Amino acid sequence: MSSIAQYLLNGLMQGTIYGLVAIGFTIFFGVMNVIKFSHGDVLTFGAFGGLVAAWVATALGFPIWLELVFVIVAAVMASAVIGAVIAQGLVLPLKDAPPLNMLLMTMMVGTAIRECIRLFFPNGTNPQKFPELLPSGGFDLSGIYFRYDGLILIAAGIAFIFLVQWIINRTRLGLAIRAVAEDGETARTMGINFTLTVVIAFAIGSMTAGVAGALYGLYYSEINYGMGLILAIIGFSAAIVGGLGNIWGAIIGGYLFAGLQTAVVAFLPALSDYKNVIALIVVVALIAWRPTGLLAERGSERV
Amino acid sequence: MVAQSNDVIPLVASGLSVKFGGLLALNELNIEVRRGEVLGLIGPNGSGKTTFFNVISGIYAASAGKVLLDGQDITTLKPYQIAAHGLARTFQRSRLCLSLSVFDNLMLGAVRRLNSGLWYNLLRRDRLAVDVRSAAEEARDLLAVFNPDLAGKLWEPAISLGMIDRRRLEICRALIGRPKIVLLDEPSAGMTHDETNQLMNEILEVRQNLGNLTIVIVEHEMGLIERATDRCVVLNYGKKICEGKYADIAADPLVREAYLGKS
Amino acid sequence: MTMISMKGTAGQIISSILVTVFLAGSLIAILEIEDQRELGICVAVIAVLSFIMPRLGILRSAEQAGAHHPWAVRSIILIGFFSVLLILRDNNFALLMIATILIYATVCLGITIQTGYAGLFNFAGAAFLGTGGYTAAMLGNVTWLPDAVTIILGGIIAAALGTLLILPVLRTRGHYAALTTLAFGVLFNGFLEANELLGGPQGLKVPGIQMFGWDFSNDLAIGSYTFSFYANYVLLIGAIFAVFMMFTRFVERSWIGIWLDAVRLDEIAASVFGLKVSVWKSFAFIAGNFLAGVMGAVYAKMTAFIAPANFTFGDSLLLVAIVLLGGIGNRWGVLIATMIVILLPEKLQFIQEYRLLLFSCVIIMLLMVRPAGLLARRVRVFEELR
Repeated sequence: MSSIAQYLLNGLMQGTIYGLVAIGFTIFFGVMNVIKFSHGDVLTFGAFGGLVAAWVATALGFPIWLELVFVIVAAVMASAVIGAVIAQGLVLPLKDAPPLNMLLMTMMVGTAIRECIRLFFPNGTNPQKFPELLPSGGFDLSGIYFRYDGLILIAAGIAFIFLVQWIINRTRLGLAIRAVAEDGETARTMGINFTLTVVIAFAIGSMTAGVAGALYGLYYSEINYGMGLILAIIGFSAAIVGGLGNIWGAIIGGYLFAGLQTAVVAFLPALSDYKNVIALIVVVALIAWRPTGLLAERGSERV
Repeated sequence: MVAQSNDVIPLVASGLSVKFGGLLALNELNIEVRRGEVLGLIGPNGSGKTTFFNVISGIYAASAGKVLLDGQDITTLKPYQIAAHGLARTFQRSRLCLSLSVFDNLMLGAVRRLNSGLWYNLLRRDRLAVDVRSAAEEARDLLAVFNPDLAGKLWEPAISLGMIDRRRLEICRALIGRPKIVLLDEPSAGMTHDETNQLMNEILEVRQNLGNLTIVIVEHEMGLIERATDRCVVLNYGKKICEGKYADIAADPLVREAYLGKS
Repeated sequence: MTMISMKGTAGQIISSILVTVFLAGSLIAILEIEDQRELGICVAVIAVLSFIMPRLGILRSAEQAGAHHPWAVRSIILIGFFSVLLILRDNNFALLMIATILIYATVCLGITIQTGYAGLFNFAGAAFLGTGGYTAAMLGNVTWLPDAVTIILGGIIAAALGTLLILPVLRTRGHYAALTTLAFGVLFNGFLEANELLGGPQGLKVPGIQMFGWDFSNDLAIGSYTFSFYANYVLLIGAIFAVFMMFTRFVERSWIGIWLDAVRLDEIAASVFGLKVSVWKSFAFIAGNFLAGVMGAVYAKMTAFIAPANFTFGDSLLLVAIVLLGGIGNRWGVLIATMIVILLPEKLQFIQEYRLLLFSCVIIMLLMVRPAGLLARRVRVFEELR
């Protein structure tokens, strides 16, 4: 029983991380029809940013709670900045180029970020230990053991998801973003600053990567330069399954993927090594069956 | 040219409706296109003319009703199947492959006449060479009717052509497949009055050469409609509101109201 | 023939010879020079010459030659090829490099058909390459099966595996194909790493090729010349490469070539005029994967070893990048891009560590500044069909 709960907790944690990554993908696609594949490596960048912030905070003797805040803020900011720079410097100039060029470019940007971390971060090729900043231990509830840190992280992740969702759907900025996503040209004529809105949207999307990166580091206590790639693939597939451009779809897709992984580990433990393989097969099958995603994908072509 | 049986109506739309979500774009349309005629399809913007073309050619699905092409029910067929039955069209928004040559673009129109087999294309190169040469000649002849200069640009990329030549290329593309019926969607959009006249002459000349092809033409310039069409159908809000010779429909109060509004 | 056209022909032939000599010479120089400084200078000189050559119209002229006098050009290329082989006959490493270049170039021809002609995204090129390789590995124990059959089977199985993915790949929106092939590549890698039956992460040994009664691991003696044993593979692979180059050319210069381009450029128009889009996309996808599988089998047999680590997403990405670098849709661009991408990192030791980073930066710059790639794809002119 307790192991089931452990799986559940793990699954929820994973799902939250995947969901955050997927939200980023879906925002980028929604706003500019771009699959920004560097998103996973932006996450890694954010995680490493958080790591550096942790070192700084420890060196300055911050209390733990302050260090925690510092780490998360640093991760979010690092990701947001690099995401914005990529948007302004690389994505926007290529917006009329063939989609293959854009996709390849973002993949290469991701590779470049990953390699820079591997080459230039001290001891970059090896996994880095992430500080323990959350209360360890947990509590028992009818035989199930709940980790404090896990619960806090899941709560934080979900809170951030709601924050992003609120920004997109309830603020004027979000309205501008949605307008640009709907029809960039018209939005421009309505007085919306296209470039600025796109860059901010990309920054917000990248922030989700930063949060995901921080959550990952805090939960698993370890990060490494290559962690972004598989997260990008999972996040991308989660976003497609949910319907590109649809934020709720991305969230559902993320939890769905984590659910699949958890199901494999829980019910088919002999195949644990194949959990990603199986989950990806299911996802690809889902896409083949429902190509526009479980919820709707936006966009159609004028004939 | 295969002789067509003369008692089958080339194109019949009966009870044709198309719905986009809550919007009824075509409302129980009944249209007949008679053999060898030039039928004008007119109506204010948004009245469903292009939608009609899109349903006929299989791009949109009909929500209700039927479309018969030479007696065959093509309502649920895919575009490539409908093309095989002898339907060709142009598009309101130019759909040329700009990076391909004029010849390549034209050949796209001739798909149903060309051999797409792997063996032939990859291994019978000598036969292919012969067919390419004769296709090129036919292409030049067709283009020359519209613009002799165009015939000399067979191997230029389509993007190097001016707007009018691109229009002509699109029309030739629709014609080169020797279709049974051609749909022309605003072929003269963006042209001056004289250019439009010239284009119409060219189309009529080709039509004659092809044995009085059946044409449905969507147009906004009434002079063109008056001169070139045998009959007209007027649409408004997806419904047919009038039908007949141009002189008759021009006088019809309903038609006036559709274009100019109630006074 | 008028005087002018004779000059034209002569000029084209001369240009072809110049280009071939330049390429062969560069290849030999880069492969033979060991000293890093000399090598750096050599590369710089080659780069400068490559910059000047197109401006003198030599490249255009050579392309014309290829279009109008294909058999003359093919003869020139063959002479060049054999000359290189002769000069490098003792350098085993060089021969291995040439073989590797030709293998990757062929796989990239397949990707050219898929992406350059039909517009399909394929981020699993390495996985199909690996499929061919593992087929060769598994069939290695079946000693009665001739190697030629094994190699072809490698292609067939790769093509068959590709058909599993065909449904999402046929969708209009490119990113479905992108994700599906991406996921497949990761799946493939993950599966191989986890699965002990197929050797796991340590890999498998693969027997070498024995064809026409000749064991390819023996040095080749022709006349008074002895060629180091990789020459056997170079000859075989060169032949396969030549066949697939012709195949690609014939596909492009035929009605099918037009259909593929139409499908890529405007699916709706293509279907309205009678093209069954799914047929042509499937053809391109299957053909490309077949090529990858065949070369994978050959590669595994040549290197006598196969492991999952050679078939990662990064490798698939490399293939797509090569195709774009060369100039999407240009067969010769593919060859040149492959040479650059395979040779330089191998030989320029001082950039070894940074090669992936440098590569990604180069591609990013390419995409921003010169997305057409090294050799632009010319408008198809149906003047020579041989």
